[in-house]
Amino acid sequence: MSTMTDSLWRPTRLPSLEEAAVWIVLAALLLLAGLTSDAFFKLNYLTNLVRQAAPVGITAVGVTFVMLLRGVDLSVGAIVSMSAVACALVMDGKPENLWLGILAASACGALIGLANGILIAHGKVSSFIMTLGMSIVVYGLVQMGTGGTARGIVSPGFRETLNSRIGGVLPVLVICLLVAVSFGVFLQSRTRFGRSAYLIGANPEAARLAGLPVNRVTVIAYIVSGLFAGLGGLALLARTGVSGTNPGAGMEFDVLAAVVLGGATFAGGRGSVGGTFAGVMVLFIALNLANVAGMPFAAQLIIKGLIIIAASAAHSWIGSRSGGRS
Amino acid sequence: MRQYLKLFVATAIVGTCVTGAVVAQEMDLTKKETYDQIMTWAKEPLDTSNYKKEGDLRIGLSAGYLSNAWINFTAQSVKYEASLHPEIKEVKVTDAAFNPTKQAADIEDLLTSGVDAILFWPVDEKAILPVLQKAHEKGVVTINIGYNFMRDPAVTSNAYVNQWTYSEQVATEFAKSLNGKGKVFAMLPIAGSSAAVVQLAVLQEVLKGYPEMELISSEYGDWDRAKAKQLAENLLQRFPEIDGAFSPAGQMSMGIYEAFDEAGRLGELTLSPGDDYNGWAKLVAKEGKWGSVTSGLEVGREAVKQAVSILTGKPTTTAVVVPTRYLAPAEAAKLNEADRPDDWFKTDLPTEFLPQ
Amino acid sequence: MRPRGTAALVYQELPRIYWALIALILIGVATGPQFRTLSNLANILDQSAVLAVLALGQAFVIAGGMIDLSVGQLVGLITVVACMMFDAFPGMSLLVIVGCIALAALVGLINGELINRLRMPPLILTFGMLSVLQGCIFVLTDRSVGQVAPAIAFLSNGRVLGVPASLLLVAIVAAAAYYVLQRSVFGWHLLAMGNSADSARKAGLNLFSLTRFAFLVSGLCAGIAGLLVAGRLGTGFPNAGNGLELDAIVAVVLGGTPLKGGRVSVAGILGAVLFLGVLNNLLNLMQVPAFTQIVVKGLIVITATLADRPGRVVRPA
Repeated sequence: MSTMTDSLWRPTRLPSLEEAAVWIVLAALLLLAGLTSDAFFKLNYLTNLVRQAAPVGITAVGVTFVMLLRGVDLSVGAIVSMSAVACALVMDGKPENLWLGILAASACGALIGLANGILIAHGKVSSFIMTLGMSIVVYGLVQMGTGGTARGIVSPGFRETLNSRIGGVLPVLVICLLVAVSFGVFLQSRTRFGRSAYLIGANPEAARLAGLPVNRVTVIAYIVSGLFAGLGGLALLARTGVSGTNPGAGMEFDVLAAVVLGGATFAGGRGSVGGTFAGVMVLFIALNLANVAGMPFAAQLIIKGLIIIAASAAHSWIGSRSGGRS
Repeated sequence: MRQYLKLFVATAIVGTCVTGAVVAQEMDLTKKETYDQIMTWAKEPLDTSNYKKEGDLRIGLSAGYLSNAWINFTAQSVKYEASLHPEIKEVKVTDAAFNPTKQAADIEDLLTSGVDAILFWPVDEKAILPVLQKAHEKGVVTINIGYNFMRDPAVTSNAYVNQWTYSEQVATEFAKSLNGKGKVFAMLPIAGSSAAVVQLAVLQEVLKGYPEMELISSEYGDWDRAKAKQLAENLLQRFPEIDGAFSPAGQMSMGIYEAFDEAGRLGELTLSPGDDYNGWAKLVAKEGKWGSVTSGLEVGREAVKQAVSILTGKPTTTAVVVPTRYLAPAEAAKLNEADRPDDWFKTDLPTEFLPQ
Repeated sequence: MRPRGTAALVYQELPRIYWALIALILIGVATGPQFRTLSNLANILDQSAVLAVLALGQAFVIAGGMIDLSVGQLVGLITVVACMMFDAFPGMSLLVIVGCIALAALVGLINGELINRLRMPPLILTFGMLSVLQGCIFVLTDRSVGQVAPAIAFLSNGRVLGVPASLLLVAIVAAAAYYVLQRSVFGWHLLAMGNSADSARKAGLNLFSLTRFAFLVSGLCAGIAGLLVAGRLGTGFPNAGNGLELDAIVAVVLGGTPLKGGRVSVAGILGAVLFLGVLNNLLNLMQVPAFTQIVVKGLIVITATLADRPGRVVRPA
């Protein structure tokens, strides 16, 4: 089975130049950043930057699978909020509740993902509007559940551990992000689910005719997306503690931008977890750069927009050069 | 295409010139005199004869942003105070989620449902005026519990925390704790909000008295701990030397604190006093420095009392002013409720009125 | 196949959202005397005008299988620019109004042009543009500015012979949208593009000019909506348009226009906007707690999406 899927999979592999595009952009941006401020080449700063990106980065890994399948998941911001709030509530400041809290957060994410997946796969409706509706519901549920103030207390040790640096250098959160990315890469290239996702995204009708379980793969993709968003919520909770009832507000759009920068398209079948990781870093370095260059708030917003547009345009340009679809 | 671009550039230039030309004709929030004038207005007697009403009272509360802990606690204290007045039959609460258009609709709906008084925390003071005008025409009492004093025929009264004094207390204590020297940055609320405008103006005013202090950057942390932390991390990168952070909102101060801590530069950080946010109080208790300025959470209760006075025809003044106090670290640490969440405020509300 | 009278025809032709709207109105009439007043009806219409115009503009883009996320911030930009201009040039209201609508249309045109030239997915381009426009707003101002011309205030809140002026404006925009989308060759081409861009191209349609025009209309409508917001608020509030783009998309979808395009119903969109307006109004009047209201609205979006999914014959692409 696996060799057959492999051979099916190979023709849909991305052209290498396109796959490399986001890494080229990342390298160029890092070079530019280094010219502006030598701090960007300091290990401490770079690791700190990656740490900042951890919540968005972890969440983006999961959304990549949804986008491979021509979908989009706008509910991840709300899931991040729910996960962070629920985890702190369950922990209730007690050390013995640590794992229970982590479990609760992951379960929240996976369950909402499951609901998304079932509704989208079996309801045959637009993922944009369905996950948008789900994000409103989840946001409302969190507000109802908390009464508007985030009442949880994090278990002692949770934040301390995750915010520490191993050997005083490597932040634990960076390792978490890298583990999440590696797990994503594993799912993408070493499991039947990952390979099916590429095939279905590239051509759902053909995949269906070839006997691939389209609905099951779709549901799993949304569960994965929800689960990673739940983990992203944990990362956010670790980074900033209990901070209000909607800490993930608007995060879905940063995630979306990062995944698209990483090479995924709305036509599905393209993109990769590695690319998404690079996309996340492009976004964060760009914003940091704007900030470090001392640009005012307004200019930073404009820069963010222009970078998203420029990077995406660069993608389609490189894609068309390397003989991709128009 | 090219001529479109030219037109666009031209429009942009005209737009920018116009910005410069616009002269603020309303209250100038960036001048101390405005606040002295406000305190004089506040003491003026209020003619309540037009509003006197017999029988049951119905009160509407239009919150601008109910998922913010401070506003949430204010809303709870409105409900609590209302429960102490038997003549108040119901309190209706709406949430605009920081959308001024939704707030206008909310207030119209409150008017339709026949409330006698509307307490409001405006998303924006100017944007809410047209709908308050409608309330005024219907003879409904309107009481502002937002950041800024509103003087307009459509606003019956204010329950008011003097933001200038509040920010000034924060800024002055901050300057003192830095011995009037050093490079500082400001962590402000949502860009465009009046709170952000006032806090920055006060800080700049106070800093005039301390020529050796330099404001190196102003950031907008949206009252959000996570955002404040990220902004502070970037500033730490940008500036090799930072001596202090002006941050009147405790939840944002916590984000700043963590950023400095993780960068190993906590030693160089002096924070301004924060407010009565519980997470901040925990931090003050732990560090034994920096202190707090109380944020005036009593406005909710005062606003209800004021509404009742006006509707029952008791004599009162144009506004009730809720004072804020600077608490030295030792005293501020007592606000700390260690078994409560960070996202919490110290109040005297009975348990059943705490957010559920 | 035989027509079975008006009732059957109405049942077939009426967009499904109207059944929900009717149910909602019946609930309102049954439960609250306050709901039944004419002034409440006028309020709902006033409150819904902005969304109606914005959703009608979005319909052009969505019908063609695209999406425009930039309209919310465009509304904010126009609100701010208009109020600044009204303040600076008090005697020239008409010029300012025309200028603002032209500016909005221009931004829409730029969106369309960039999508064509850069061959970018509209979602990501307009998402980038959202951020750029928000930046432009904060370049202009960080707080409420200016004031609004009396004509615009009247447009948003006034009554013509007891009928809300905003309703008349919406009627005009809706009539134009109906004609162009559902009765003109252009609309037919746009829907063809939404159905299948590839087939449309093979059939010789100029997708570039269709895209350009759809975004031009979306920008134009955002301009009108921006003026309406200015009239409602009386001031240029920089965050006035936050999130409006999602509301508009929800309204379009609830109205029976699927996000992948190829099908559109102006009447459905109007019904959906009215449905959302009545819903907000009723939830407030029935004292549903603020947080519960959010959940209810989200559930309605989900339910309505599921209820309006493609019919039996149409195979999903």
